[in-house]
Amino acid sequence: MKRRIAVVIFPGTNSEGETVRLLRDCGGDAHLVHWSRSVTLPEYDAYVLPGGFAYEDRIRAGAIAAHDSMMDHVIDGATAGKLVFGICNGAQVLLEAGLVPGTGEVRRPTAAFTRNAPVPHFVNAFVWVKLAIAPSRCRITASLPEGALIPAWSSHGEGRLAADEAHLREIEAGGHVAFQFAHADGSVDAGAVPNGSALGVAGLVNREGNVLAIMPHPERDGWTFNHPDRRRGDDILAPSGGAVLFKSFVEAVNQA
Amino acid sequence: MSERAVAINLKIPDNAAYTALTTLQRLGVDVTRVERSEILVVDFGGDDAALAATIERDEAIFNPNKHRLTVLDARAPRPGEVWIAEMGREKRYIGWRLIDKVGEPASLAALRMACTRLLCNPAIEKATFPQ
Repeated sequence: MKRRIAVVIFPGTNSEGETVRLLRDCGGDAHLVHWSRSVTLPEYDAYVLPGGFAYEDRIRAGAIAAHDSMMDHVIDGATAGKLVFGICNGAQVLLEAGLVPGTGEVRRPTAAFTRNAPVPHFVNAFVWVKLAIAPSRCRITASLPEGALIPAWSSHGEGRLAADEAHLREIEAGGHVAFQFAHADGSVDAGAVPNGSALGVAGLVNREGNVLAIMPHPERDGWTFNHPDRRRGDDILAPSGGAVLFKSFVEAVNQA
Repeated sequence: MSERAVAINLKIPDNAAYTALTTLQRLGVDVTRVERSEILVVDFGGDDAALAATIERDEAIFNPNKHRLTVLDARAPRPGEVWIAEMGREKRYIGWRLIDKVGEPASLAALRMACTRLLCNPAIEKATFPQ
């Protein structure tokens, strides 16, 4: 059975178009839901928070959106077990809302995706992210193979995971590190991390496994036309590597 | 040389301050106005006028068409104001000054509530309150 997915749009969201298209290409029944229609959100079975600059990143990236009435419904849904998937700015909103790593209270963040280091800079680069948990640990990644390597585009100035030592240990020990930055051969080390992120984190999952936040954009490698290895004559609209995470998400939504 | 603090704020409408105001009100904080400043702590040897003139000449941080500069009496938040700094960058703050319903600087309790609920993420930021 096809279940309905809401792609949530805050003022300042800018990646909703490619996100909803890729969800549909992967078989999802995805719909754009503007902030002015937030009351309809409970009707949906899953939520995707796309990239952008919600509320112009005023105060901090994701801080205002985390308190928006849209997030009241997303938090209620996540608490009830619905799947929630945040990408880039959507991931920042989920951290500010306390839904990931989910080690504290709701809307009391214990970590942040913050200014890249060592020198503040905007990362705009093709990257690989590697699944760092057993696929079944997160319902959204359950259809991926062990150690799946996913191409994506990093596009952020504030994507470095930061927290105090105690919380970082809690994040690591609790199995919240869903994705790490990796080299093309799948190896993981500091050289693969473009933003100084603690533990090499590219994505986090909550304890229950139904909320996933990932900083790079897999949807921007959802079709061949944006993949760096594309060659003349390739079908530019063929599915590319970033689509596998979306397919896994859609499968999980439809099985719920 | 001595350590001095200056506040730079917008003299044009500050959309970020307005968004903070409406969000804080939604969260139940007693506030009717929010003023946002960039607080810079610098080492400087001259008087207030010389310090102001030096900063106002730096086009990277001060635009006379939209900014107003105040040399502060002390390196400490003013009444009703909290300073938020990213950890490791404690010479550069965002100052949030809250005014309550009767037009007075917000109480320390209201400032603490505003920080806990919105203005400060303790994972990456540190709040300095007025004495």
